[in-house]
Amino acid sequence: MGSIFRSEEMCLVQLFVQAEAAYCCVNELGELGLVQFRDLNPGIIAFQRKFVNDVRRCEEMERILRFLEKEITKANIPIIESSENDKTPCPRDVIELEVAFEKLEKELKEINTNQEALKNNCLELTELKFLLQITEDFFEEAESQLSGSELPSEESVAVTGCSRRLSSTSGGGRLKLGFVAGVIQRERFSAFERLLWRLCHGNIVLRHVEINVPAEDCMADEFISKDVFIVFFQGEQFKSKVIKICDGFHATVYPCPGTLHERMEMSVGVNMQIKDLHMILDQTEKHRKNLLLSAAKDVRKWNVKVKKMKAIYFTLNLCNIDITQKCLIAEIWCPVTDLKKVHSTLTKESVRNGSTMPPILNRIATNQTPPTFNKTNTFTVGFQNIVDAYGVGNYREVNPAPYSIITFPFVFAIMFGDCGHGLVMAIMAVGMILYERHHKNIEMNNEILAILCHGRYIILLMGLFSIYTGLIYNDCFSKTFNLFGSAWNVRAMFQPNGPWSNETLQNSSVLQLNPAVRGVFSGKPYPFGIDPIWNIAVNKLTFMNSYKMKMSVILGVFHMLFGVTLSLLNHIYFKELTNIFLEFIPEVIFLTALFGYLVFLIIFKWCVFTVSESEIAPSILVHFINMLMFNYSGPAMTPFYCKQRSIQTFLVLIALLAVPWMLLIKPYLLYSDHQRTKHVVRLCDNSKVSILQSEHTEAEIKGGGDKNHWEEEKFSFGDTFVQQAIHTIEYCLGCVSNTASYLRLWALSLAHAGNYT
Amino acid sequence: MGFAEFYFNVDSGYLEGLVRGFKGGILKQADFLNLVQCQTLEDLKLLLQSTDYGSFLANETGPLTVSIIDDKLKQKLLVEFVYLRNHSLQPLTTFLDYITYSYMIDNVILLITGTLRQRPISELLPKCHPLGSFEQMEAVHIAQTPAELYNAILVDTPLASFFQDCISENDLDEVNIEILRNKLYKAYLESFYGFCKDQGGQTEEVMCPILQFEADRRAFIITLNSFGTELSREDRATLYPRCGRLHPDGLTLLSKAEDFEHVRAVAEYHAEYKLLFEGAEKNSNEKTLEDKFFEYEVKLNVMAFNNQFHFGVFHAYMKLKEQECRNIVWIAECIAQRHRTRIDNYIPIL
Repeated sequence: MGSIFRSEEMCLVQLFVQAEAAYCCVNELGELGLVQFRDLNPGIIAFQRKFVNDVRRCEEMERILRFLEKEITKANIPIIESSENDKTPCPRDVIELEVAFEKLEKELKEINTNQEALKNNCLELTELKFLLQITEDFFEEAESQLSGSELPSEESVAVTGCSRRLSSTSGGGRLKLGFVAGVIQRERFSAFERLLWRLCHGNIVLRHVEINVPAEDCMADEFISKDVFIVFFQGEQFKSKVIKICDGFHATVYPCPGTLHERMEMSVGVNMQIKDLHMILDQTEKHRKNLLLSAAKDVRKWNVKVKKMKAIYFTLNLCNIDITQKCLIAEIWCPVTDLKKVHSTLTKESVRNGSTMPPILNRIATNQTPPTFNKTNTFTVGFQNIVDAYGVGNYREVNPAPYSIITFPFVFAIMFGDCGHGLVMAIMAVGMILYERHHKNIEMNNEILAILCHGRYIILLMGLFSIYTGLIYNDCFSKTFNLFGSAWNVRAMFQPNGPWSNETLQNSSVLQLNPAVRGVFSGKPYPFGIDPIWNIAVNKLTFMNSYKMKMSVILGVFHMLFGVTLSLLNHIYFKELTNIFLEFIPEVIFLTALFGYLVFLIIFKWCVFTVSESEIAPSILVHFINMLMFNYSGPAMTPFYCKQRSIQTFLVLIALLAVPWMLLIKPYLLYSDHQRTKHVVRLCDNSKVSILQSEHTEAEIKGGGDKNHWEEEKFSFGDTFVQQAIHTIEYCLGCVSNTASYLRLWALSLAHAGNYT
Repeated sequence: MGFAEFYFNVDSGYLEGLVRGFKGGILKQADFLNLVQCQTLEDLKLLLQSTDYGSFLANETGPLTVSIIDDKLKQKLLVEFVYLRNHSLQPLTTFLDYITYSYMIDNVILLITGTLRQRPISELLPKCHPLGSFEQMEAVHIAQTPAELYNAILVDTPLASFFQDCISENDLDEVNIEILRNKLYKAYLESFYGFCKDQGGQTEEVMCPILQFEADRRAFIITLNSFGTELSREDRATLYPRCGRLHPDGLTLLSKAEDFEHVRAVAEYHAEYKLLFEGAEKNSNEKTLEDKFFEYEVKLNVMAFNNQFHFGVFHAYMKLKEQECRNIVWIAECIAQRHRTRIDNYIPIL
C-alpha cells in the first residue's frame, strides 16, 4: 500500500497466448484495464499489419452504425442508452452482427431511395399543381384583354396583346407565340431573368409568381422557396434557347397544355395523383419509423460492442505472431502488484476457451523507463486528474495527488471562508455522491453537470474545509456567532478605569476600544476563531486585512517548503546525492533565508510587541524591502531585535550564494563525469579488442540493447547548462511570484466576505 | 496604408493562424513514402486516416475509386476555403476571391470545350472544380460566340473585367478557346498582380514573385505549345502575361522563338529559370519541364510561410493543397491502374 504516495512499480512482461485465445484474452485484459501494450512492430505501416482487415470490418460496421444513428436522430426518435456493461462479441458472433447490420442498412437504404423517389415525384406534382393554378391566372388575364381569341394548337397559344408591352411591339397583329412554363428556385430567379433577357435580346415576356405555400405539401426535408415562371416567345429557335437556359439554372420545365379544358383536366389528374402518392408515402414512412424504432433500441449497445472489438483488433495489431502461427506474443507494462491478478484472469479465460496451452507471463528485464501509473479510486481520481493536468511525474516519483487531497480544498476554503456557504456546498456534494451511487452508469448528457459530478468529492472536501475556515473567520452568511462571549468589554472604557464619559459618547460618532486600558481586553482571547465583536467594529477590515495577509504568506511559504521537501523524497528514493546537495539544499536555503525569514518576522512581531508598544512597532514590509537593499538608515528603521543588521545581511548573502550554487556546480560535475567515462570507455575498448575477441563479441551481444541507449544519451554541455539555468531561474522567480500569488488567498477571501456584507 | 503589419492581426490574425495550422497538416515526404507503398486504394484510405484528412472517406460505401477520392479531397479543400472566405474582411476577401477566379476561368473553358464536343452538360458539371463554381456557370454552354458569352452570361460575374480583350473573336473553335483561355488568364494574372502591388508591404513582397513566376511559366508554356500550330507570332505575343520577370525584353525574344533552343536561350538570362531548363529535354528519365515548374512553384509557396502579416500565405496554402491533391490523385491513379513504375513522379511538398 506504500504505492499511494508513489506511482506504481511496473514491470515489462512478455505474454504468450495461444493464437485462438488471443482475442478473448485481450478482451479480458481490456476489461481489467491494468496493462499497457507496447508496440512490437513500430516499423510496419498501418495497412501491413496482421489484423488490419478486421479493423476495417469494424470500421465498416461503425459506418453503418453512424448512418443508422443519423437516420434515427433525423426521424426524431430517442436513442435508448444502454446501462449495463455490454459484452464484447466473440469473433463468431461478429459475422452475425455484420450480417444483421448489412441487412438493416440495405433495407433502410431501399426505403430511403423509394421514399426519396416518391417525395420527388410528389414534389414535382405539387409544383405542377401550383404551376397550373398560377398559369391559369396568366391566361385569364390575357383572355380578358383579348376578346376574339383563337384556340391554340399544340403547345403554342395564339395570343395577341397578352400583355401591354407585347401588344405594342407586335403591333396588334396575329402572332404564333410559344411558351414554356416551369418552376425555379427563388434565389436563382433574378439571374435567370437577366440571362433570359440578354440571350433573347428582349424578345420574350416573362411572368413569375412566388409560391407562398410552405412545405406542407411538398414533403422535402427543408422547404426551398420557389417561383413559378412562364416565358412567352416567338419561334423555335428561341424555344430551344429558353429550354437550354432553364436547364442551366436547374429550373424544372413542366408540360403545360395550351387550352383551358386540357389544363383543367390535367389539374384534376394531378390532384388525384398527389392524393395517391400521399397515401403511399404515409405507408413508407410508417414502415421506416418501425424499422428505426427497433434499431434505436440497440444502436448504442452495438456501438459499444463494435468500439470494443475495434480496440481489441487495434491492440492485437501491436503484438507479434510467432513463426508457427500458434502463439501470440505481446509485451505489456503491468503493475508488479497486479501481476497475479492479470495472470489469474488470463488463465481463467484460456481455460474457459478450452485452449491447450495456458498463457505464459514472462517478466523481462529492461532498461526502458516504465510508464507512470497512479492507482486511483473514485475518491482520489478527481485530485489525480487535477494534478495530472499540470504534468505527470516520472516513473516512481512522488505522487503529489494524495497531499493535494488536503491542500487543494483547504487553500480553496481559505479563500471561500464562510461556514454557511460551505455547508450549502457540502450538502450539494453529498447529494451528488448519493445520486451517483444510484445512477452509476448513466452518462451525463449535460457537460457542465458532468464536470461537477466528476469533482463531487473535491467539492465535498471544499465544503467541509470551508465550514472550518468559516468558523475560524467567525463568518456564517456574513453573520457572526457569539458562542463563548466576547473577550472585549466596552464598559471598562468608561470612567473610572478608562477615559470615556457620557459626553464623549455623545460628542463622537466613532469610538475606539483601547486594549491598553485595564479590563477592556479580558486577557483570555476568544477560544475559537475571531472575536465576534470585530463584526461591529468599523476597523474590522483593517484588522482582517492584516490578519489574512499575514496568514496567507505564512501558509504559502510552508506550502512551498512542503513542495520542496517532496523533491527531497524523490532524491532520496533515486539515491541522487548530488541532487540533494546541489539542488535541494540551496533551494531550501534560498526559500527560508528570504521568505522563511519573512514568516519569522511576522510571528516575532505578533509575539513580542505588546499593546503598549504597538505604536512604535516597526513595519515588516519596510524592513523586508530594506533588508534586500542593504539599507539600514532612515527614520522608520527601529530594529526588531539587536544584531538584526548582521543577521539580515548574512541571510541575504547566503540566499544570493544559493543561486550560483544551484546554477553552476551541477552542469560542471556532469560534464567532468562525462569526460571521465568517455576516457575510460575508450581505454577499455582498446584493451578488449587486443586481448579477447570472443569476449568482446559477447559483450556486444549483451550490450546490444544498451547500445542504442548509450547513443541516445549523447551529452551536450550546452543543453545541460541551459536546462539547469532554466530550472534555477524558474525556482527563484517562482519563489517570489508564488509568495505574491499566495496573497491572492487574502484578496479572494476578502472579496468573498465583502460580497455579502 | 503604411505600417499595415501593425494592424494585420486585428482583421486577419485569426485566419492567418488558422491557415498556418492547416498548412501543418499538409502531407510530408514521409507520408508520401508510405502512400507509395500502398497496394490498393483501401490501403490508401487507411493511411490517409492517420493524417489530417482523418475520416474523410469513412462514410463512403461501395468500392473506392480515384474519382471519389478526388472529389472528397476537393470537397475538404472547399470547406476550408469557404470558412476562410466567410470570416475574412476586406481587402482579404477580394484577395481570396482572386484565388477563385483562376478556377472559374478553368471551369468556363472546360464547359465551352465540352459543349463544342457535344458532351451533355450533366457530364461536364462534375468535372468542374468546386472552388470555381458560380451561379451562371451552367448557362455557359448556351453561348455560341465569345461576344455572346461575355454579353449575356459572364457580364455579371467577376470574370467580366478580364474579357475586354477577348470579345473580338468571332467563333468558338478549339484554337480560339485556347486563345480565349490564355487571354483570360493573362488579364487575370495582370489584374491580380496589380491588386497585390496595391496592397504593398509584405503581401506585395511575397505575392509578386509568385505571380511573376506564374506569368513567366505561362509565357514559356504558350511558346512551347505553339510550335507546329497555326498560331502566328504576333498572336502569340498578345497572349503573354505582361507582369513577369520576362517582361518586356524576354517576352519580345520569346515571341520570336522558333524552337526549344530559342526558348532556352531566353531562359538563360534568368538564373532561376536557367536551372529549370537544364537537363529538361535530354531524356525521359529526367523530370519533365512541367514537373520542374511545379517544384519551383512549391518552393516559392513554401517560402511564403516564412513571412508573417501578409495575404500570401492564403494563396500559398491553396496552391500547396492543390499540389497535394494532385499528388494523391496521381498516386491513387498509379495504384488503381497497377502502373507503379512512375508512381514516384509526384512533387514532394517540402
